[in-house]
Amino acid sequence: MSGEDKFDVIIIGAGPAGTACAYTLAKEGKNVLVIERGVTAGSKNVTGGRFYTYALDLVEPGLWKDATLERKVTHEQIMMMDGNQSITIDYSNPLFNKEGEMPQSFTILRAVFDEWFASKAEEQGAVIACGIKVDGLIEENGRITGVKAGGDEMFADLVIAADGVNSMIAREAGLVPELSDKTIGVGVKEIIELPAKTIEERFHLKPGEGASLLMLGCTEGIHGGGFLYTNNESISLGCVFTPSEAAAHGRQVHDIFQDLKMHPSIYPLIEGGKTVEYGAHLVREEGYRGIPKQLYRDGLMVIGEAAGFVLNIGYTIRGIDLAIVSGVAAARAVISGSNPGPAYLEELKNIKLLPSMKAVDGYFDLLEIHRLYETYPKVAGGVFNKMYSISGETPVSIKKGIWGVLKDNKVSLWQLVKDGIRGYRSI
Amino acid sequence: MSNVIVCFKWVKAEDDLRIDSSTLAVDLSKSKGKISDYDRNAIEAARIASEAAGSETVALTFGSADTKTALKDALSRGPKQAFWVNDVSAENADGFVTANMLAAAIRKIGSYSLIVCGEGAADTYAHQVGPRIGALLDIPVISFVKEMRIDGNRLYAVRKLEDSLEQVEADLPAVVTVLPEINPAPIPGLKAVLEGGKKPVTEFKIQDLDLEDGDTSRKTDVVSFKGCSMSRKKILINEGDAKERVTALVAALKKEGVL
Ligand SMILES: Cc1cc2nc3c(=O)[nH]c(=O)nc-3n(C[C@H](O)[C@H](O)[C@H](O)COP(=O)(O)OP(=O)(O)OC[C@H]3O[C@@H](n4cnc5c(N)ncnc54)[C@H](O)[C@@H]3O)c2cc1C
Repeated sequence: MSGEDKFDVIIIGAGPAGTACAYTLAKEGKNVLVIERGVTAGSKNVTGGRFYTYALDLVEPGLWKDATLERKVTHEQIMMMDGNQSITIDYSNPLFNKEGEMPQSFTILRAVFDEWFASKAEEQGAVIACGIKVDGLIEENGRITGVKAGGDEMFADLVIAADGVNSMIAREAGLVPELSDKTIGVGVKEIIELPAKTIEERFHLKPGEGASLLMLGCTEGIHGGGFLYTNNESISLGCVFTPSEAAAHGRQVHDIFQDLKMHPSIYPLIEGGKTVEYGAHLVREEGYRGIPKQLYRDGLMVIGEAAGFVLNIGYTIRGIDLAIVSGVAAARAVISGSNPGPAYLEELKNIKLLPSMKAVDGYFDLLEIHRLYETYPKVAGGVFNKMYSISGETPVSIKKGIWGVLKDNKVSLWQLVKDGIRGYRSI
Repeated sequence: MSNVIVCFKWVKAEDDLRIDSSTLAVDLSKSKGKISDYDRNAIEAARIASEAAGSETVALTFGSADTKTALKDALSRGPKQAFWVNDVSAENADGFVTANMLAAAIRKIGSYSLIVCGEGAADTYAHQVGPRIGALLDIPVISFVKEMRIDGNRLYAVRKLEDSLEQVEADLPAVVTVLPEINPAPIPGLKAVLEGGKKPVTEFKIQDLDLEDGDTSRKTDVVSFKGCSMSRKKILINEGDAKERVTALVAALKKEGVL
């Protein structure tokens, strides 16, 4: 093993987790190699497109100002759909975007963001080798000592797996079991180009402002939902499903997505746009309870979505910020000089990642309620329909109307109370 | 044998070209750069030739500031060092200007036994640079090369012509322009990529080169640069039974001149 072939740390994957870790380590003078299979960092990465800015500030205060971000999110919207009808709630609060302060959240395009972030880690001295896939780990006497890629072997004091949702490396190391089709979602997404002005008109935004729209009831009752984010000159539109349910339902994910695009409340938002990118990707759905029992072993640590750090909680998906935070935690553990594995767990707690994920753990139960994906959007639609239908006939009382709608949708009072209690408990 | 110099061009990747279908204007702003595809085969051909002869491969390019990323990529493919004529004029240089720059840089580099170029660049495919370098340096040029071998001071090459193969020989130093089929262009492995980042790069500015007046002015002018967009006719044949539809389809295809 020559000095040339040995690094302090080898990181597998230049997604947000790997790059944040590399940045932090390199800044402290560690000799870091990041191996990324994409031709450039981010070239193949699919995400929804919303990012919580605080995470970049953890990497380096003020770094976000230099980042290639799209629009700051000023409008939070939730749409409930049933057939052709829809109800939208639009929440905006200027406190999230105070003049002169760091905006809470931005929309982003990963191909651009990841490449920018990787170039920043490079500036700190990390070596980033793109276009190379890691094929496996090198193990000596129970300790991970390096990686294999093509015919080459490369060694390090520590290997960090940041290879994303379906981490081959964490599986090979025996830390993470095979993903089950019940605990992951399949996401499909298009990037649709539109002029900035058109986007601003359609979403009532000022230049630089953006909207985040999540949709329920657009998945034909399948556990899942849709998302739409406004970028500078494009819209990211997609949906996430539980694949096994979609298969049992007998519909192609792509067809359901096509219907979503044609929905009378969505089509006018994307009309005239040009689809420039189509992608599909997995995402973990389990939140806190999906985190593997063991996040490290001798010579290896797992970070980012490979370690289950993603929250898909119905009103928002958070994976990018948690990936970055976990990368910083891992780097701090290494820098601390103590036994990196246990130090990493300690840092994950200090940096509030594990506690934050635990706090919203109950959402998983709420999202398990199937009526959320079809029945309740229908009920809500039905109630609004009753409220807004004026024909000159004597209307039934709203109360009666609601009961009628519940009955039509076969929801008993008992179920409603039960789901209500479950929902309340879970939040 | 002295060095094998391989010239390569950093071009815009065609994947991200955007063509406005109404004006046919081409938007290059979203396109990343890449080493011209055929030049990747050329780099490998140079590596194989110099390895066989026990000499070194040297890479040379004329490109603007964003060519910097190209050098690492080129060096991870085998050359021991790279030379870079860094000038923004490369972005719209023609074969005349490019050949002047490269030939002047080659004179600076000094010793060489073989100069390898791709047959044409992936963007312009003008077949100009290799032959012009040969003329400027007053050495033999062999183009359309699909095989080559060096024995001592003699180069043996097979040229692929329209309907025949031609075997030719020349004394070194010489210029060859190679076809992509000369050899595959392997994707560099991890160690090669890491080494590529550490190899030396020498940068020339135009002022460093011995050029004459006029060497930097192009001989050709680009009058317009437009995309090519295929518009579909959107003919739908859905009337009548199967037989009638087939007849209508055949008639329509005949009318279009495809049958
Ligand atoms: C449809 C969809 C929508 C989402 N929306 C959002 C959102 O709006 N906001 C949000 O915060 N999160 C969202 N997420 C989740 C988020 O994208 C991920 O959680 C996040 O990208 C995880 O980051 P990471 O760095 O851990 O992994 P990744 O971003 O997946 O990066 C892993 C990297 O490792 C590389 N790699 C993998 N294997 C190898 C190998 N063997 N050798 C070399 N390199 C390898 C990959 O090429 C990749 O670059 C969404 C996910 C999906 C699927």
